[in-house]
Amino acid sequence: MQSPVTPLKDDFSLDLPTFERLLDFHVRTGATAISWPHHKGESLNLTIPERKRFAEAAVRVVNGRIPVTIHVSALAVEDTMELARHAQKIGADGILAITPYFWTPTLAAIEAYFVRLCTSIELPVLSYNSPSYLAGVEITGDLMARLIARLPNFVGVKEASFNSEKFLEISRAALPMRPDFALLTGVEYLLPSVPLGGVGSYSAAGSICPNLCSQLFDACISGNWPRARELQSKISWLWLLFRDQYPSSLKGGMVMMGRPVGPTRAPLPTATKERQAYVRSELERLGILDSEPHGW
Amino acid sequence: MSKSMSMSIFQPGLVHTPVTPFTRTGAIDYDRYAQLIEFHIANGADALALPMHAGESVSLPDGERRALVEFAVRHVNGRKPVIAHVSETGTAIAAALGRHAVAAGATAVVATTPYYWTPPPAMVLEHFTQIGAAVTIPFFLYNSPEEMQGTKVNAELCLKLIDKLPNFAGVVDLSLDWQFMIELMTDAPRRRPGFQLLAGTELMVSAGAIGATGMFAPLAGIAPKLVRELFMLCRDQKLFDARGPQEQVAALRQAVKVGGVASLKAAMAVMGRDCGEPRPPLLQLDAATYQRLVGELDAIAALRAEPRGW
Repeated sequence: MQSPVTPLKDDFSLDLPTFERLLDFHVRTGATAISWPHHKGESLNLTIPERKRFAEAAVRVVNGRIPVTIHVSALAVEDTMELARHAQKIGADGILAITPYFWTPTLAAIEAYFVRLCTSIELPVLSYNSPSYLAGVEITGDLMARLIARLPNFVGVKEASFNSEKFLEISRAALPMRPDFALLTGVEYLLPSVPLGGVGSYSAAGSICPNLCSQLFDACISGNWPRARELQSKISWLWLLFRDQYPSSLKGGMVMMGRPVGPTRAPLPTATKERQAYVRSELERLGILDSEPHGW
Repeated sequence: MSKSMSMSIFQPGLVHTPVTPFTRTGAIDYDRYAQLIEFHIANGADALALPMHAGESVSLPDGERRALVEFAVRHVNGRKPVIAHVSETGTAIAAALGRHAVAAGATAVVATTPYYWTPPPAMVLEHFTQIGAAVTIPFFLYNSPEEMQGTKVNAELCLKLIDKLPNFAGVVDLSLDWQFMIELMTDAPRRRPGFQLLAGTELMVSAGAIGATGMFAPLAGIAPKLVRELFMLCRDQKLFDARGPQEQVAALRQAVKVGGVASLKAAMAVMGRDCGEPRPPLLQLDAATYQRLVGELDAIAALRAEPRGW
């Protein structure tokens, strides 16, 4: 599944025509779903009206070809609720929401948050568990089970602990209660998650190498582990390349793939010409320039 | 080069990590230890690693720790490889334990980051370099950030260590960190063919997908069949089939995690293999925790097929 970056003009305002091209690119190159705006899409550097405007564009451009989910996590929980209602109103297929930022909420507070969110809309809700970015705040297996028992539209999780034990804790709690509960992960970590019941991943590098992403998914789903290891290694090198100043380097790399999407909003830096050249040399070394689509 | 080639031949496979039995007065119970070693050998161990943290290594004074390794190697008598755990706070103390392990006849040594100091990477590198250089047998690095107050080993450090140590044979990973394992197995085997990743506990499906070929098994004293089944399925890359046993093992791991070694020993007693209580500062389980553990063990279906008694 692809989560597009947010294209910006040189004055840092939203670049709608390029966003439309990017959405169409992802749909044409094998994305199984679109989700926007993830942190990679600079969600927290966008205003709420901006997020609504591009959410509408995403639903309109994708036009039912694949599902569109809207990431509604915001610093203020009230904004999250507003974005969730908006996503439902514009016809999105679901929403994705992380545990609340900043406050290090207790398990009871996290539970109350998801209960409120899920009962405020009818759309399917995917939760987003990312303890390493949120001071250890996490949805435990027990809490996951309570939420599933209580909320019919609590349908999955983006599990971003990237840790064998955490993934198992959640899969063991969730799947017996809801066998089609969607266990998803991030950064294309398909190799370690699919054998444990994972059904997919959001992608970090999909705007650079959609073919590689699809190949890795196919290798994992079909249990071709030697092939999957080779592809996961290659993706890992790309992650190391882009993780640094994410998503600035990613946007820099997109310039080199003929798909420029403009600068990155502060406090994130914008990839310099030198950084872009370095990214290009790495993409060349990894064979990405030859094996992946160039231009739109 | 020939040295490094020969070093990479030892493949530990499924490594049982026995507890250390104590008598009522807290002395090492060597009769029981001999019985326990026999149990592990008869129930699926490819190798033994001792005394790991599950064997209360940190609660054994230096002399006892050496005597334990000597006893184990003598008792095993070549039937299986013995990996000596030589982690220590001071680098020189750990290196001395390493030299002792070689003299005692251990097949390999394993060591984690220094206790207490939470050192930066340069210090960790130096620590491992000195331990590895002190021994002439394969050296395995034990990466366990949760146990070690967050001190982590990254793939870059491991690559540096490969360059420094011809006997650096692999990483026993208890970080369970996907990115670390993927990076390690992407780069380390290119630098040193035969370099191994071993799962540091019985969570092997993801590690096995990434390329782990071995596993350390502290739960083998409780459920050796289940542990062996999981290991074999992962080793044979039947990873979808391994998920069922993996979930059972994860339930067992979660049940004993609460009280640590005290729970591990209590669960072994429940299985008819009493190895006494842990040494201070660890406390034996209180009655309520013990009862809860018994209930949780009872709910794990796979345990019904496991051997009872010795």
